[in-house]
Amino acid sequence: MKKNLILLKVYLLAGAFTFSGGMAMLPVIERELCEKRSLIDKESLYEYAALSQTFPGVIALTNACFVGKKINGAGGMFFAGAGAILPAYILMSIATLLYQLLPQQGPMLSALVAVRATSAAFLFAVAYTIAKYNLKAKVNIIIALICFIFTLLNLIGAPVLILLSALAGVLIYTGKDKK
Amino acid sequence: MILQIFSTFLKIGFLGFGGGYAMLSLIFEEASKFGMTVSQFADLNALDVLIPGPIAINSATYVGQIYGGFWGALASTFAVSMPSLIFVLAFMQYEGRINNNGYLKAALTSVKAASVGLIFAVALSIMLSTTFDMANLFDWQNHRFDFLSLAILIAAFVLHMRCNINPIALTLLAGIIGWLCYFI
Repeated sequence: MKKNLILLKVYLLAGAFTFSGGMAMLPVIERELCEKRSLIDKESLYEYAALSQTFPGVIALTNACFVGKKINGAGGMFFAGAGAILPAYILMSIATLLYQLLPQQGPMLSALVAVRATSAAFLFAVAYTIAKYNLKAKVNIIIALICFIFTLLNLIGAPVLILLSALAGVLIYTGKDKK
Repeated sequence: MILQIFSTFLKIGFLGFGGGYAMLSLIFEEASKFGMTVSQFADLNALDVLIPGPIAINSATYVGQIYGGFWGALASTFAVSMPSLIFVLAFMQYEGRINNNGYLKAALTSVKAASVGLIFAVALSIMLSTTFDMANLFDWQNHRFDFLSLAILIAAFVLHMRCNINPIALTLLAGIIGWLCYFI
């Protein structure tokens, strides 16, 4: 039981203070669970972090579930997972409620338009960063371009494009395997 | 409605390879079926920056809250969390067989490439909406150019990428600038 409470506390803490994405949680988790309490070793933590990225879903949550399950079985998984989700869920619920109260006119609208411009900028930045590290092979550049154009022209939905890309990856791999 | 929100986010969760940002394009598309506008989606991105936690959870909560209130937010957050629980439990059963699977890695590499294209498209949609006031690419006749928002977009991109300035600070700063510009 004590382990469950530690997991809940550590993940609540990590979830409440890490911004823009779940992987930023890792250093906090490492410090609390590996160094301070030695509940799991660093290798396992980072192995699970890498593994989590191969599954669909919320990566930070998958990672929390792995770590929780490893440390204290199904109970640990539940508490670590709850800790990883709750701060985001509660804070975002409140933020959305407040957002809905904002008047969409006058100076507030002007402020929102400026904020929306930064949101486009950050998405461009994210796409650029992912591209820089992942678009090395020619075929991947083609996949990215196809997805970009088809989405922009509204020809094929994102779910279908994702599944087709995965299929293309498997087919290419199979082709290489035979050679 | 709640059931629809739940099934939508279950779908997003199971198709959401590659983390929160890759999921955003799915959320963008699916939420527009509920009636979400590009502006609302851009505001969601800004809130993702300002509110701590995994982006997918933040986004699910936001969409659920807007279209289904408290229960909507609970349903969407729970639904988007389901894949993690299922895959972790399944993996612990079959450990080793999934690990180091070449097919899985190949599929993931392609999906990552796809996500680059998808995110670029979403970013461009928001840019068209905010700086040109266009609903989509085919709406060019009705465009209305907004210099301030283009300037902020470029400034935010450069300051973030080149000078490594915190997105939270940039978002708040942009809001203040936008607010002040109304009075000029």
